[in-house]
Amino acid sequence: MSFETALRIAVLTCVSYLALLWLMHWGLLVVGLVETRRRRREREVDDVDALSGSRFAPGVSILVPAYNESAALPDAVRSALAIDYPEFEVIVVNDGSKDDTLARLVDELDLVPVEASSRAVLDTEQILGYYRSATDRRLLVVDKVNGGKADALNTAVNHSRYRYVCAVDADMVFARGSLARAMREIVRDPEVVGLTSYFENSRDPAASLPDGVHFVGPDTRPLFAFQSFDYIRAFFSTRIGWARLNFMLCAAGAFQIWRRDLVEDLQGWSRTFTCEDIEFTFRVHRLLRQRGRPYRVASLPDCVGVTEGPDTMRKLISQRERWQRVILETCWANRRMLLNPRYGTVGMLGMPFYVLSEIVAPVFEVLALVTLVAGVASGLVDGWEFVVLTLAITFGNSALTTGALLMQDLEGRTYRLSRVLRFFALMPLELFVYRPFMGWARVKGTWRCLRRDKDWHKFERNVRTGTT
Amino acid sequence: MDGRTGLVVVCAVAGGAWALLVLALLVGRARHRRRTRPLAIVTEVGEWKQPPVVTELVDLGDTDERTAEELLNESLRSDIPELRTASVTALASLADRHDWAIDGLVEALAEASENPVRVAGELDRLAPRPGPRLAPLVAHPNPVVRAYAVRLLSRYPALAEQHVPACTLDPSPNVRGAALETLRAAGSPAALRHALRLLEDPHPQVRAQACRTAAAVSGRASAAYLVPLLADTSWWVREAAREALVTAGHHATIVVEPALESHDPALRSGAALVLQDIGHVDALVGDDEGGRLERIYGAGGRRLRGAAAERARRGLVLGDGGALEAEAAS
Repeated sequence: MSFETALRIAVLTCVSYLALLWLMHWGLLVVGLVETRRRRREREVDDVDALSGSRFAPGVSILVPAYNESAALPDAVRSALAIDYPEFEVIVVNDGSKDDTLARLVDELDLVPVEASSRAVLDTEQILGYYRSATDRRLLVVDKVNGGKADALNTAVNHSRYRYVCAVDADMVFARGSLARAMREIVRDPEVVGLTSYFENSRDPAASLPDGVHFVGPDTRPLFAFQSFDYIRAFFSTRIGWARLNFMLCAAGAFQIWRRDLVEDLQGWSRTFTCEDIEFTFRVHRLLRQRGRPYRVASLPDCVGVTEGPDTMRKLISQRERWQRVILETCWANRRMLLNPRYGTVGMLGMPFYVLSEIVAPVFEVLALVTLVAGVASGLVDGWEFVVLTLAITFGNSALTTGALLMQDLEGRTYRLSRVLRFFALMPLELFVYRPFMGWARVKGTWRCLRRDKDWHKFERNVRTGTT
Repeated sequence: MDGRTGLVVVCAVAGGAWALLVLALLVGRARHRRRTRPLAIVTEVGEWKQPPVVTELVDLGDTDERTAEELLNESLRSDIPELRTASVTALASLADRHDWAIDGLVEALAEASENPVRVAGELDRLAPRPGPRLAPLVAHPNPVVRAYAVRLLSRYPALAEQHVPACTLDPSPNVRGAALETLRAAGSPAALRHALRLLEDPHPQVRAQACRTAAAVSGRASAAYLVPLLADTSWWVREAAREALVTAGHHATIVVEPALESHDPALRSGAALVLQDIGHVDALVGDDEGGRLERIYGAGGRRLRGAAAERARRGLVLGDGGALEAEAAS
């Protein structure tokens, strides 16, 4: 086979892969648009905040695992306690932090050391002590030996008293109406066993949602804008479609509500994976499909809060390579579900989607890059073809992002027009100044996964502006 | 079509799609600002091709009550979830002015056709008007409906007194628990008697509710009955008993302290936790006569001792420890 033939085959393979990927994403976008329209109609006829004033609202335990979260945690806990919901508690688990996380919490939230009791439903590391707020009985802080995020969540489950648990990240600043909106979906449909919801990201979450009600809007500095594109696409053009087709494969770790009995039935979050969220969602599907029980894992478009986005490319790559590792670990652990009709849409649509869009993506990204360099160097790809192909990919990606943004906009038109216009201006640049780094993160994550690296590689939190 | 033309077509399609979506977003925003809703009056369920705008239904309810009542009652039984939701929203809005709308909501609760949490929330908001209509529902065949009806009656002391005591014998634990909650909230004189009886209920949820009720009605009188539940098989009951005894404050000390000598480790540690939470431990720190504090530490364990020491170091006290000290001094 000549070099030219090999190159042509490589180009054709890459283009076919891209076409397949676009087809899947556009398909999901259309499903998501239909679902968004249905939800809008439904919302127009309902009082979406009715639950926040009802004594019949089911109780929720908010679980906040924290490791070296001194900078972010006090704001997150304060915002959680300010949530407008009739019945909830906040359980913070200090997972053996090496910084002053616990000391800051004690100081800023008026904590008093106490002894408390717990159930021992899930195995966890040893508990060192308990703290209760002197001013708010809904807050319990558990101090324990380090065991990772999953272990911290399981510890919190052992202390939770309500029927539903809401696992969140320690940097999440909540919108006041977040729980009422999310729980509305659960009380409306008893088949919903788990749920996630959209959230924004910013450099300093507390500054982005200062009063818990009004979002300042997305950060339009390029690094944060590109991350916002990822979040908007992930929730609006992917998860909403997944949920509609009943294969919502990732309840995001930053905001995931589950029925507590299901968490206990599954023996809690697993410590053997790099991250806990995707793996747990897969396990929920596996268990309930095996049992043949009707169930639903929902994904909502309501913005429930703001989390911190990495403010340097180095941190971002560290985060994304970790995500890549956990996707690989999870898909490998659940490989028997792939194309297995027993698991319905999860096995027949969800798993293949993940494999194509996440697992083999680094292979094609590297192949495309090598092909391009080789093609230009050998003169087989001329400048004109290169430019038109690049433009086509740029437009296609921008269209997908705009489709997702349109769905977000239909939800409430919360972004100022100037920010939306700035987003439009940045969209074409994403392919050139952002995607290569994300490609590198995926390659790095794949390599580390093959080396069985399961470390979190936690990076430093952003420096806060001082808003509390 | 050669490769180059194909590339141009793909590029044009992708670019066109992007431009169209950008336009859709901008036009959608502009239209959203100017949009005013058409006030088409609907008179039959069949006309609702789209889910109705609730304000239109409310307008109809005010102008043509009979038609609206029929329409909303029919739509409550619809297969379309949005229609049922719209009906509940409209009925809730109309119920401030029209009794037939309250009847509609009560019927919605009885038929469990629409999210009962939502319907019960609306009926609760409308108190005291729905009261007499709710009473018959405590005998409804569906235990979910019975439980909601019983809880709703907590805002009607006379009705609660009349209908709810019998519900403490209901076969459903949800209903028995709700009955205790209602008797407590309604201030029924029978609440303590029923609560003490249900401390031995086979279902932990009911026992936990019985602890809360007993403590709320009379923490002092019920304290002795609550102590054994500190060693209950269910964590929720143990927690409820502990919280109930803490509510009784330092009056519980006299019945809780003997439990420190129990053979049951769960009872000992539960008693130690109660004594910590009511402030007894903090009151004894630095003034431990007869080794009482050591007995509590022995029952409560290393962490209880450590927490007490840290509180003492920081000058903090829990519960009504201060009050206890003052009483002892007087």
